[in-house]
Amino acid sequence: MGYKKIKKDQLKTLFNELSKDCSLFVPSGSKGYVGFDPWDGNSADFTEWYRNTTIPPKALFFPPVEAMLRFRKGEAGYEIEELLPNGRPQIVFGVRPCDARALKITDTLFSDTYRDPYYLTRRENATIVGLACNEPCDTCFCTSLDISPGESQDVDLLCSDIGDELLMEAVSDKGEDLLSKMSGLSEASGEEESKAKQLGDSAKEKITRQIDTSGLLDKMRSSFENREYWEDVSRKCMSCGICTYVCPTCHCFDICDENNKKDGKRVRNWDSCKFPLFTRMPMENPRHEKWRRIRQRYHHKFEYFQMNFETIACTGCGRCIRECPVNVDVTEIIGGIQAL
Amino acid sequence: MEGDNVYLPHVMKIEKVIRETQNIKTFHFNFKDESQKSKFSFKSGQFAEYSIFGEGEATFCVSSSPTRMDYLEFSVMKAGKVTAAIHELQEGDEIGFRGPYGNWFPLELLEGKNLVFVGGGIGLAPLRSLIWNVLDNRDTYEDVTILYGARSPADLSFKYDLEAWEKDDAVNMYTTVDNGDEDWTGRVGLIPPVLEEIGPSPENTVAITCGPPIMIKFTLMSLEKLGFTNDQILTTLEMKMKCGIGKCGRCNIGNIYVCKDGPVFTNAQIQNFLSNEF
Ligand SMILES: Cc1cc2nc3c(=O)[nH]c(=O)nc-3n(C[C@H](O)[C@H](O)[C@H](O)COP(=O)(O)OP(=O)(O)OC[C@H]3O[C@@H](n4cnc5c(N)ncnc54)[C@H](O)[C@@H]3O)c2cc1C
Ligand code: SF4
Ligand code: SF4
Ligand code: FES
Repeated sequence: MGYKKIKKDQLKTLFNELSKDCSLFVPSGSKGYVGFDPWDGNSADFTEWYRNTTIPPKALFFPPVEAMLRFRKGEAGYEIEELLPNGRPQIVFGVRPCDARALKITDTLFSDTYRDPYYLTRRENATIVGLACNEPCDTCFCTSLDISPGESQDVDLLCSDIGDELLMEAVSDKGEDLLSKMSGLSEASGEEESKAKQLGDSAKEKITRQIDTSGLLDKMRSSFENREYWEDVSRKCMSCGICTYVCPTCHCFDICDENNKKDGKRVRNWDSCKFPLFTRMPMENPRHEKWRRIRQRYHHKFEYFQMNFETIACTGCGRCIRECPVNVDVTEIIGGIQAL
Repeated sequence: MEGDNVYLPHVMKIEKVIRETQNIKTFHFNFKDESQKSKFSFKSGQFAEYSIFGEGEATFCVSSSPTRMDYLEFSVMKAGKVTAAIHELQEGDEIGFRGPYGNWFPLELLEGKNLVFVGGGIGLAPLRSLIWNVLDNRDTYEDVTILYGARSPADLSFKYDLEAWEKDDAVNMYTTVDNGDEDWTGRVGLIPPVLEEIGPSPENTVAITCGPPIMIKFTLMSLEKLGFTNDQILTTLEMKMKCGIGKCGRCNIGNIYVCKDGPVFTNAQIQNFLSNEF
């Protein structure tokens, strides 16, 4: 699997070609925030300004709002119509290594015991084209979670930005297949390969933020009963839920019906463990208080998910740190637990 | 409707509506598409997601016994939006149903044992599924004792079951109410003290209990006083649920997902939960 390369000024042509037989998504700021949008034929210059999206690529597979089924009442009673995604192949171009890992993490959850056909249909039809990071954000700490800004085994195809060109390397069969279909590529030289490696190494060095995961499972466990700690770190949180919405591994959802008994849809929406109604029952609510909800979020990511699926459900993407309106910082929370 | 989409409900027909108490109703229901019926099976203790189209889904156990498959039953206490809509259901109406989900009462562990059922209010719903299951295979079990309690005589659910068990010589049936009325000639008293008064022996016995949290709390204390170990006590837990299949993220107690790992637990398991949020 040798390295190929493409000139950046050829990307537009490549994208136009690729989007003929499949849905192509690229980073875009057209909505007022950065997210993956369908390729619109305009500008392929995201490599010049893009560090990471605000909304993670999970939204392409697990959309914020999604109709699951339609129910209609006719003469013979109710008919249910399944509303599965259409199965059209998708290419997501420009996924960062942390977010590619996040997809592997949510894959585990959505395929565990019961298949989630909505998420998995989209995943199976998708090819993930990664883009290595040369300039990580100062909120990134992926290296603490076994993720490298310059490489990834979680994508199908990995691109590295070496200046005027993108270097491309197939990681999976799907990636190999895609690579073989691309035109406008040329062979990359050994020098260019080493340049990509160098850029990856220097990106790694630029990441200074860290969490210490050694012995964390035990530390999390013993912090559970430390109410004072959780009250302290949750004091400024406003329960807005932004941290969970922008998190690439948060997967909690609600299911509700459109308010129409004759013809309506059953809809799945992103939900958040930061909301008091999330666990509200008629007689009680185990997480009525804010500190219990904050505790749940971090214990879920760093303890329960690890116990159940053998991986921490955080990739160090730093989004929750960047987007929280009151600067709640996951690295401080984990650091605080390690220091208890 | 076949296929493997776990979120697609079966359409079910309501065959009968029974008013149990002022705020509890029981519904007999069956598959609208009869060909689905033979493919369906469940075990006592399992639950499902029931829906009123246009209102949404809610979680209830299947309250009938797998030994009696002419129709299925569920019993609902009015508590909010969906349960209020369910209480409006009439014979012939249609609902959505997906399941069964969760684990079940471990019948193989109950074989050859004395069984003590302790239920409060709507908590008899999952227990009666198991009770009928046991009574339909009566020889497999030793003594069967049932203690059921409610706030007042008017709050007693499943009176037809209570009568049947009362008449059954192979069942020790006790019914109690917190407060009687002028017509009530039965026992008056809270469940835990009545249980201590009956005083079942823990020898070769398993106690199975379900009811409101406060009743469970004191019942567990009484069982402990009577000498029951945590391994000899089974109960079901309730958490807010949506998906029922371990994905939506809301029903966990520590790393245990009540929908997938439960809802049936031994008290020993509950005591061992790493992070008990209650
Ligand atoms: C495994 C399991 C088995 C169960 N089995 C049974 C059973 O067999 N029978 C049974 O009766 N129940 C059972 N339950 C409980 C049942 O699931 C709940 O009572 C039911 O889901 C309530 O649904 P609802 O839509 O009517 O209530 P909701 O409308 O969700 O309301 C719940 C409570 O919250 C309040 N509330 C809702 N929304 C808001 C809001 N926006 N602001 C403020 N307050 C609000 C409501 O007033 C109500 O008090 C079971 C639960 C579990 C987990
Ligand atoms: S983004 Fe910040 S304020 Fe909002 S819920 Fe998360 S931690 Fe709390
Ligand atoms: S918890 Fe924060 S840093 Fe970790 S994956 Fe989620 S958004 Fe990224
Ligand atoms: S009900 Fe969704 S995870 Fe348990």
